[in-house]
Amino acid sequence: MRTRRWAGDVVVLLALVVWATPFFWQLRTSFTPDGELLATSSALPSRPTIVHYTAVVERSVMPQALGNSLGVAALTTLVALAIGLPAAYGIARLPVPGKGLLLLAVVASTAFPQITTVSPLYLLMRALGLRDTWTALVLANTSFALPLLIWLLAGFIREIPIEVEEAAFLDGAGRLVALRRVVLPLVAPGVASAALLTFLASWNEFLFAYTFTATEASRTVPVALALFPGVFEVPWGDIAAASILASLPPIVIVVGLQRWLVRGLVAGAMKE
Amino acid sequence: MTARQRADRLAGLAFVAPAALTLAALALYPALWVLWLSLQQRVPIFGIARFVGLDHFAFLATDPRFWNAARVTLVFTGVSVVLELVLGMAAALALQRQRVGRRLALSLLLLAWALPSVVTARLFEWLYHPSAGLVNIVLGRPLNWLGDPTLALAGLILADVWRTMPFVALLCYARLLTIAPEVYEAARVDGAGRLATLTFVTLPLLRSILLVALLFRTLDALRAFDLMYVLTGGGPANTTETLTVYAYRSLFQTLQLGFGSAIGVVIFVLVMAVAAVYLRALRREGAAA
Amino acid sequence: MRWVALVLAVVVLLPGCAERHDGPGPVTLVFKHAKILGPSDPIPGLLREFERRNPGVTVRSEPLTWTSDEQHQFYVINLEGASPTFDVLMLDVIWVPEFAQAGWLLDLSPWVTRDELAPHFPAAVAAATWGGRVWGVPWNMNVGVLYYRADLLAKQGLAPPRTWEELVTQTERVRAAEGDPRLDGVLWQGKQYEGLVVNVLEHFWGSGTALIGEDERVLPQVDRAAAALTFMRGLVERGVSPPWVTAGDEELTRRPFGDGRAVFVRSWPYALDLFEQPDSPVRGRVGIAAMPGHVGGGPGAGATGGFHLAVNRRTRHAEAAVALVRYLGGEPAQRALTAAGVALYPTRMALYHDPDIVRARPQMPRFHDLALAARPRPVTPWYLMLSTTVQPEFSAVLVGVKTPRQALDQARHRLEYMLGGLR
Repeated sequence: MRTRRWAGDVVVLLALVVWATPFFWQLRTSFTPDGELLATSSALPSRPTIVHYTAVVERSVMPQALGNSLGVAALTTLVALAIGLPAAYGIARLPVPGKGLLLLAVVASTAFPQITTVSPLYLLMRALGLRDTWTALVLANTSFALPLLIWLLAGFIREIPIEVEEAAFLDGAGRLVALRRVVLPLVAPGVASAALLTFLASWNEFLFAYTFTATEASRTVPVALALFPGVFEVPWGDIAAASILASLPPIVIVVGLQRWLVRGLVAGAMKE
Repeated sequence: MTARQRADRLAGLAFVAPAALTLAALALYPALWVLWLSLQQRVPIFGIARFVGLDHFAFLATDPRFWNAARVTLVFTGVSVVLELVLGMAAALALQRQRVGRRLALSLLLLAWALPSVVTARLFEWLYHPSAGLVNIVLGRPLNWLGDPTLALAGLILADVWRTMPFVALLCYARLLTIAPEVYEAARVDGAGRLATLTFVTLPLLRSILLVALLFRTLDALRAFDLMYVLTGGGPANTTETLTVYAYRSLFQTLQLGFGSAIGVVIFVLVMAVAAVYLRALRREGAAA
Repeated sequence: MRWVALVLAVVVLLPGCAERHDGPGPVTLVFKHAKILGPSDPIPGLLREFERRNPGVTVRSEPLTWTSDEQHQFYVINLEGASPTFDVLMLDVIWVPEFAQAGWLLDLSPWVTRDELAPHFPAAVAAATWGGRVWGVPWNMNVGVLYYRADLLAKQGLAPPRTWEELVTQTERVRAAEGDPRLDGVLWQGKQYEGLVVNVLEHFWGSGTALIGEDERVLPQVDRAAAALTFMRGLVERGVSPPWVTAGDEELTRRPFGDGRAVFVRSWPYALDLFEQPDSPVRGRVGIAAMPGHVGGGPGAGATGGFHLAVNRRTRHAEAAVALVRYLGGEPAQRALTAAGVALYPTRMALYHDPDIVRARPQMPRFHDLALAARPRPVTPWYLMLSTTVQPEFSAVLVGVKTPRQALDQARHRLEYMLGGLR
């Protein structure tokens, strides 16, 4: 009986490895020398090389793009948290005038197609002279990150029993103090989850970044990868290396911070 | 109203105001603006800004390219979502029975989901290479995945399912974890076999989460842009041109902001309508539960 | 009243002057251009020479993406109401009227005279002017040519084909004789991008029609256009061209021919240098032919292409930027570029008969004649819109999704709506 279970486990793991094969293939490609690329004959490259990585790091725009992506994603997350956490608390706990309408607006905003808002946002960025800046991207990303964050955090805050706060009030604490001392520590894991999701969404964002950035000064990783220069032919090896580098933060989040990521994803769906 | 209540109302306003203003400026205002743009012939590079009313929509109504894009969008959405739900559920069920290596399993699964869509696009572009691509190597045939009008959409759907099935799997998996083992125990005592348990016990319990997954996935598929834009650019011959790609090309290849916005408005209406339908169904589901 | 007008004039002109006046102090110009193919990159050397000749000016190079469509998108998104992040730009010839109309380019007429432009190919000059003003300096020239395997044709005693129909018969003969199943007939660019429009236009011209007629009408002889498209589709259906040409661009088609796996390829001058590389399997066996026409259509003509240099109208260093543009388009710079053996052919006609250059690259006189006989794509500010509208329609015909007549009718319907909104 136990061996059957073990076998079942191994089969599932193998199946998942197969599912993740596209990624591993790209990993393999990134270490394959150019000569072998178009004449694949074995699972592993016969002469692994890091020449693609050096090419990407030294001669491409990826390092700068990585910096841009990190900055934009971090700033988006911070801004969204700064605005969204109080809003989530207000929606969850306080009598806000027009709360129903606000909630509807928040939920509706999460469904807005980016392609619809990109043209007015383009004109807006142009008018504000913000093209090719981090600011433009942070603003654009906030437009979809904020409603998502509010929705998630409101759900997490509602999970905390109201008694906990009421106990604090009984002890003489005001709203803000209660928020800081009592609610915040309890909702911290939820905030972490929501922040991770926001960071990931901002890191992966392509449409706004492609439209609003012009030069390497503000180009993010997805755009750099999409526009990866092939002089005439496509440099598959270099693109593979760049892809792996572009995937590092998401991989770290998925493997290292899995618990919080999962929590955030699931919470978003279960809190209907 | 007591002092506390008044203080609470004020606090509520203060807490919510920044977010409300930000949303109004970055989401709601653009939504109204795009509506206004769609009624204009607006080509900034040539300084053209002229009110044309519903001309763009009238043109779209008889535009074969628009209807082609609509068809591609619906086919893409329909097939992808069905595949994702079926495969996602299967993966969740398999994960649930997993004893060892759950974390590894989840990592392998979520990897596909967490990668940026552009990374996935370039990944599959390489996989679909006619001679050196892994897909053709495995199949042993030199299929022209991204160049053949009959294959490109399938290739695109495959890439999308690969990327998003983990999300559905995760949702189902989380739900499955909340099912008490006594439920299965009771089924076993009643003499139910594996298939019967699955059909009459597990699936009904998964119903609500599947509806949620359906909602998310449908909306995401309708709005999808990155993957098709980078993988195929809408080609060959517009066989993978969804409404979003059509809109983007109209907007930014020649900065026809009026016409492109009209397509954007159509997408908006479509997505909101679908969302409204689903939400109503979910509410009914929630009420029935 | 007159002094009011004077004051107004001064007030209006003064900011313009201030914008363009090169103040004292070091000037940095940003030069936006695509990477240069070839064994070495001669641009840095040229820029350093320019800096030497113009003390106080530094030039910073910024690369563009390679594909034409992406470059255009970059420029459009950047030049549209933005601050100047670059001063000198390398422009595809088809964009000059558009950018000029949009007001993004500096009018070079005060500096660049007709005489200065005379040594360049007329087609290049025509693409550099719009509305009677000069907007760019021709920099490099491209012309569509047909390459053929001279050895394979010679074996059958064949001269290069004058019509496409003749080309098809020739491929059949050669392939039958060679008996090599991997030998393709003719390769050309059929992917859905600008290159496809070039190929289709060449067939249109060979059939005696065009995309935009003399009177600015769209598709004036639709039947001939349909016949041309039918022929192109037929190349794929009959196996004269392999099915993957519908996803083929310059490089995807150049390589197999360069590996000896095709009898003909429609390409650009740059390819010949690669065919004549020491390790190339087809070295010494490639012939250059003019673009064939069609039976009953008329003589064929290759499409012209190439790049011009222009100045961003919002530049803060107009004098220096114009100097750079004139320098790079000047004789010494173009000579240096040609001598470096890179994939850029000069726009100065004299260089094609220069003894030193011809010695290194004997194909130059041939390309000169072909360039003179070539035709430009429609010179209009709406060219990009035209092209992006017809690309999917042409592609649909090639992959068999639409009939030529369907595609052309739909193309005309769309174009008339789009162009109607622009005029």
